[in-house]
Amino acid sequence: MKKYDAVVIGAGNGGLTAAVRLLQGGAKVLLVEKHNLPGGFATSFRRGRFEFEASLHELNDFGTPDNAGDVRVLFDELGVTDKIEWTSIPDAYRVISREEKIDATMPFGVKEFIDRMERYVPGCRLSVERFFDLAEEVRLAQAYSSSVNGKTDSKVMVGKYGNFVRSGSYSVNEVLKALKMPKRAKDILNAYWCYLGAHCDDLSFAHYASMVNRYIRRGVLMPKMRSHEISLAFIERIRELGGDVLMNTEAVRILTDPSDGGVAGVILDDGTQIQTRHVVANCAPHLVFGKMMDKVSEEVVRATNARKFSGRGFTMFLGLDKPAEELGIENHNYFLYDTMDTARQYDMMRTIEGNNVQATVCLNRAYPECSPKGTCMLYFTTLYMSDDWANVTPENYYKTKNYVANKMIDRFERDTGAKLRGSIEEISVATPMTYARYCGHPQGVIYGYESQYWDGLMPRLQMMAEDHKVRGLRFAGGYAMRLSGYSSAYFSGDISGRQTVGDIKREG
Amino acid sequence: MSYKFKKQIFGFMDLLRFKKMVPKRRARLAEGSPERLPVTYTVNETAKILHPGYQTAVLRKIEQNTPDTKTYTFETERPLYFRAGQYLTVGCRVGESVVSRPYALSSAPRAALNKQISVTVKKCGFFSGYLFDRAKEGDSFTVGDPSGEFCYEPVKDSSRILAIAGGSGITPFYSMAQAIADGTEDFNLTILYGAEKEEDLIFRKQLDDLCSDKIKVVYVLHGEKKEGYEHGFITKEIIEKYVSGDFTVMMCGPGGMYEFVSKELEAWHLPLRRVKKEANCVGVRDVQDAEYDLTVHIGFDTYTVRASANETILTAMERAGLSVPAKCRAGGCGFCHSKLVSGRYSLAGADKRRLADLKFGYIHPCCSYPDSDMEIIVPKAQ
Repeated sequence: MKKYDAVVIGAGNGGLTAAVRLLQGGAKVLLVEKHNLPGGFATSFRRGRFEFEASLHELNDFGTPDNAGDVRVLFDELGVTDKIEWTSIPDAYRVISREEKIDATMPFGVKEFIDRMERYVPGCRLSVERFFDLAEEVRLAQAYSSSVNGKTDSKVMVGKYGNFVRSGSYSVNEVLKALKMPKRAKDILNAYWCYLGAHCDDLSFAHYASMVNRYIRRGVLMPKMRSHEISLAFIERIRELGGDVLMNTEAVRILTDPSDGGVAGVILDDGTQIQTRHVVANCAPHLVFGKMMDKVSEEVVRATNARKFSGRGFTMFLGLDKPAEELGIENHNYFLYDTMDTARQYDMMRTIEGNNVQATVCLNRAYPECSPKGTCMLYFTTLYMSDDWANVTPENYYKTKNYVANKMIDRFERDTGAKLRGSIEEISVATPMTYARYCGHPQGVIYGYESQYWDGLMPRLQMMAEDHKVRGLRFAGGYAMRLSGYSSAYFSGDISGRQTVGDIKREG
Repeated sequence: MSYKFKKQIFGFMDLLRFKKMVPKRRARLAEGSPERLPVTYTVNETAKILHPGYQTAVLRKIEQNTPDTKTYTFETERPLYFRAGQYLTVGCRVGESVVSRPYALSSAPRAALNKQISVTVKKCGFFSGYLFDRAKEGDSFTVGDPSGEFCYEPVKDSSRILAIAGGSGITPFYSMAQAIADGTEDFNLTILYGAEKEEDLIFRKQLDDLCSDKIKVVYVLHGEKKEGYEHGFITKEIIEKYVSGDFTVMMCGPGGMYEFVSKELEAWHLPLRRVKKEANCVGVRDVQDAEYDLTVHIGFDTYTVRASANETILTAMERAGLSVPAKCRAGGCGFCHSKLVSGRYSLAGADKRRLADLKFGYIHPCCSYPDSDMEIIVPKAQ
């Protein structure tokens, strides 16, 4: 029987990072992935003369070599930064909201961001400055928390990160209110909320602030060859370090040791049995405890059932046969909302009919050479906050896809004045079914468990140790302690990979 | 930082609230339902019908359409669904080899929901020859995922499709015509169907029966002159006679037909978005024959097989009986994505790989010919 120190299930961003970390810690590692490509959402696909990015809008908190963000520091440590060619993104976002009649384009850089906000909303400066000060403290406190694996010393927390602790239990809107931020500034600042998929009355301030900070403070990058370049760089790194990688291979069961209920092995889809005492699962605990393990304690079942699935994804990809400037596509990143009342917007996003929100990216506006001369590409993404797609039968599937696709095009044209119809050369649409198919996520969820107030970033980080219920089983990726998003998934793989190295060492 | 954040009048109340987050989450997790976690989910089950993966299909019926074409109807293990115009692979073990080929589905999408699918095959090569001469009702085959983009896209295509079919290239259009007739699809389909003689026309009667205000079929025979048929090849004049205004061209047939018709279409100055050509399987290449060693890593195993310079790397692996991923056989779908460890190769046709694949040394064996001994890492066929 094949024997490994650890098996990583799933080659998504979290699994890839965990595999490198395990190998760096001296473990013998097998990485299995059910799809034929690594990366999970971090991939690309070709249609005609276009190569579409599957999911990444921009990689945040990367920075430059002399002003490195946390993600660059991690990539440097993993040994993948230099395997990837990067390009930077010019502007943070343009947010358009109908109800509030907002049309604001926000730059990167804290100072630039605050100056621009002051221009849009005179008198807001102090509140926005304080927001960024708080956000930076959140980042530092999180770094501290990660460095001690969640076992924080409350004296250190209150002494060094007092503002973080005092704001850390509140929602985004509660804190912005306490900062006396004018409504319009709040509306513009909250534009990123759809990247986390919980509305700002529920979303933890610490989580949101940490993310906005990661975007704005150091700027963001894109790999020139789409996120597929990152994923292949990771695989190359894993092979360099002596790891074994099996694509097209699904782990179907996790075997347990009757003596302690911990991990004893993994069974692959062709029946191959792998002996191991450690698994990093880069997938939903719902899948692991629902179908991959035999004896799951009631405590674990209850804890898993208690959690709420986040948004179900939908993305339309367009390859257009005219350049962006000719079509009137001015920006890289658009957020189009009906309202900045995020709770109400969240509700409207429950149904296929009611949802008109989109986060739209034109990669050519950051990297003009990403598609052939005289063309450009657009990606439109939205989230569904219920399982309305479960009501779509196979027979209605393509009609429903087209219905949403048309709605998205119409809205983009109306809100931005751009003209897309008549120039669409390629179209591809990914629905919750597509995400379920490729990544196996329940109901086509793309953001893991929702960042609800009670299950937000802070309590998850603080409870890392007690959430670890099965000996030898740790999680990485969007369902794990850092929640979803590219950088979060890399960080979760980093944490679970390092922790598993520790587990292995302790076993001797 | 001089600023001290406070939400409540006394900062310590904010601290207390922070401290309660963990006990609160602990309590919420404990309050979850003790009921068994679901094994699957509705969206995932629908995805399995749309993308069923490999499954066994039993050959239920063989119909001879013309002297060199037959239609094979299968009953699949599970229901599936597809878009008219898509293909799937049909495969089985033939002697020592594990072989499959992509065939356009000639049946209606709706029938697949009842586990019934058909492919129409022209006898022209190794596997079609096997099907023609050896396959019989009751035999089991493996069929793959319905795939491909050779479909009507209402969001971008003109609602008038000009279909240009050569020989067995009629099959995807026959599926589309059935889908229009049963209400699955809604567009105007004008088919210019080129064949040598009347007797070579596949689905002649069925197509005539399907004709309606939405479906029109024009037969173009180049091997004989007959009343009621256009004669010759599909020329500019014939095209002009049957379509006007805005239309999207979809072509399915041999490479020679694409070249010819593309020239005839030049007068319309159609942009790329108005023309779709279904890709054809990569065949043999005409070079001096040479044999190379191909070292193949699949899973935990390593094999060394012989590869001919004339055939693709995929074919070499199949001949040797290796079970490897194969789908479009035209370099485009990426299903056979494999890592090149060493060796030289040449591509058949345009490079359809992702940019990062080139950078990190990945190949699509279905469209790559060996130019030296090679070593590759191939994912197993799932």
